[in-house]
Amino acid sequence: MKMRWSAWVLAVFLFCGFLLPLFLKGDPREPVAAPFSKPVWADRTQAPAMSLTVPTGEAGKTFSWSWEAPRGLSVTGEVLFAKTPSKAALIWETPAGAKWVLSDLSGQNRWTLDLDARDMAFRISLGLSPFDESLRGLFDKHGMIRVRIESDVPVERSSLLVKIPGERWGLFGTDQRGRDVFLLFLYGIRVSLFVGILAVLVSSLIGLDAGLVAGYVGGAADTFLMRTVDVLLSVPLLPVLMVLAALWGKGLWQLVLILGLFSWMGTARTVRSMALSFREAPYVEGLRALGAPTFYILARHGIPTVLPLLLANIALGVPGVILSEAALAYLGLSDPRVISWGRMLHEAQSFGAFTTGAWWLLLPPGLGIALLCLAFMDLGRALEEWADPRLKGGRA
Amino acid sequence: MRPVKRYWTRRLGGAACVVAIVLVANFFLFRLMPGDPVATVLDPRFSPEAKAQLEALYGLDQPLGVQFLLYLRRMATFDFGLSFSTQRPVLEEILERLPNTLALLVPAYLLSVLLGTVLGVIAARRRGHLAEKAVLAAGAVSFSFPSFFVQMVLLLLFAYVFPVFPLRGSLSIPPPEGTWRILADRIWHLALPVFSLVLLGFGGWALTVRNLVVKVMGEDFMILARAKGIGERRLLWGHALRAALPPLLTLFLLSLPGVVSGAVLTETVFSLHGVGRFLLDSVLGQDYPAAGGAFYLLTLITVGSNLLADFLVQLADPRIKTGGEESR
Repeated sequence: MKMRWSAWVLAVFLFCGFLLPLFLKGDPREPVAAPFSKPVWADRTQAPAMSLTVPTGEAGKTFSWSWEAPRGLSVTGEVLFAKTPSKAALIWETPAGAKWVLSDLSGQNRWTLDLDARDMAFRISLGLSPFDESLRGLFDKHGMIRVRIESDVPVERSSLLVKIPGERWGLFGTDQRGRDVFLLFLYGIRVSLFVGILAVLVSSLIGLDAGLVAGYVGGAADTFLMRTVDVLLSVPLLPVLMVLAALWGKGLWQLVLILGLFSWMGTARTVRSMALSFREAPYVEGLRALGAPTFYILARHGIPTVLPLLLANIALGVPGVILSEAALAYLGLSDPRVISWGRMLHEAQSFGAFTTGAWWLLLPPGLGIALLCLAFMDLGRALEEWADPRLKGGRA
Repeated sequence: MRPVKRYWTRRLGGAACVVAIVLVANFFLFRLMPGDPVATVLDPRFSPEAKAQLEALYGLDQPLGVQFLLYLRRMATFDFGLSFSTQRPVLEEILERLPNTLALLVPAYLLSVLLGTVLGVIAARRRGHLAEKAVLAAGAVSFSFPSFFVQMVLLLLFAYVFPVFPLRGSLSIPPPEGTWRILADRIWHLALPVFSLVLLGFGGWALTVRNLVVKVMGEDFMILARAKGIGERRLLWGHALRAALPPLLTLFLLSLPGVVSGAVLTETVFSLHGVGRFLLDSVLGQDYPAAGGAFYLLTLITVGSNLLADFLVQLADPRIKTGGEESR
């Protein structure tokens, strides 16, 4: 079988969901930048968030600045000098040539800094107005800015970190709490795959049993099962799921069970129609004539007969379950501690993505769900063709 | 006429079965919900007597069997009690919102079926044509994109980036003066939700119509009809569509419960003042009478429209009248 695009997509999703987070540092629940920061690549007219380490050398750190003055600035970290310096300072050189002393570092060989531009004393020491929010003095022109440690003795170690909160941050920006949307997106893959696949396994198991019994045994069992299917199909699904999710709790396992219990009807119908023709097959009739017990016939011959199509059904069933899970989470009926794509959309809606126009909170989870569903549908179709080669080419 | 009678006995029996199961489930589910219902109404400083009085008001002090019988009587008369959160009769709350929900669902559903049928038939006639590609793409979107995500993107586009439509609600606050202005305002608020539902709904429908019509086109009676010299247009819209009608109506029937689910999501995205949103708020707020009432009424509406659609299937499929095999 040729490698379909869906197989590649699923492989990438599996990698991103389960392996990539191991290599990326950071807790997805922790804020990393200003709330509602745009993705870095989005709007180049606005300043990105920056986080710069100041090295020990005399040259310091230079970076290019070509935007408006930012809303804030902070310097944190430690400096260790080889000896106690008589004269040392943290210097900020602006593009226009002005020189600011961010902090005096003389008279002590170990310094721990925690400076923030919101701090009145810091602003006054810089000669900035304590009431004017702007940092125009430090960012006076577009161009290269240099931050360096100036001292008369060598600097042994520096872990100084200059942070500038910008309007842009990371691959997918940040959400209303300043969390990294890309990390949230990666963790969301797990939930969708976990719930989607497990719930479909549960529903396939129920559907397989119900379909085999209804089709092969027939009679009252058939009537009862098919009536049940009809009843379940004529009740609005989402309200039922909402009530059950609120009732049974919102954990992932409960969700798997609830979704599994309410999505086996299609599988049962498919399996039933196959079991009906299986029952009439000459070799099955032969088995019955030889006195094979029903359980043996179904387990040894019935299940292998329906298995290929059942596999296709499993793959085709995953999108429905993923969409239901996302809908429940979107409505706020999921565990708030579990990061999922539906939950991300829920938070986007409840915390003002529409009033701030934060499209980067909508697109990653939404397109993620859609791509995952399309991949599973394509996989299902490939399996269907494998199970029944007559379908190949017939479907346009 | 006997087969028709049998058919209807079966259908009505099925519908009664659904309602009965929903009634029983409704009763037990909402009594098993977490949290103490009275606690949400009650101030903790209230005396035990006041609490008992409140429990008596909601009938929570009776034995479960008596509660169930009382519940059945109240359901039959649509008396759902007082909402825990607003202290108003639940029926009143629901009836106030029902027109909004119907005004959303009925036009949206009719339009998407109409558009879907027309595009589906066109796509069936001209394979590889632009219409067919559009139908295939729209079908893929409607099966794989979360409906609420598409609606959120539309809302962001047409209410924030290009502010042509309102961001939320069913009516402006404060509402405009005059009947016609209010009507126009309501339509303005409903336009985007209805459009989004049509956009999401017509694809799947068109895909089914196309597949059915393509199948019918290959049948013997179509070849005969063509041989008789019937025009292409009449062949397609008269004969092929007519033959594909019974399974289409069955599908219509099967998709009705999904419409109700769609109402919950759509009303949440667009913050509409409807029954679906009411159900969600009640479930989230542990408002049992309200949630139970809304759920029960939504099911009744679904079952009722199911029966209505059944009637239409019967009109369209003469095989049921003559007692032939029921089509699935």
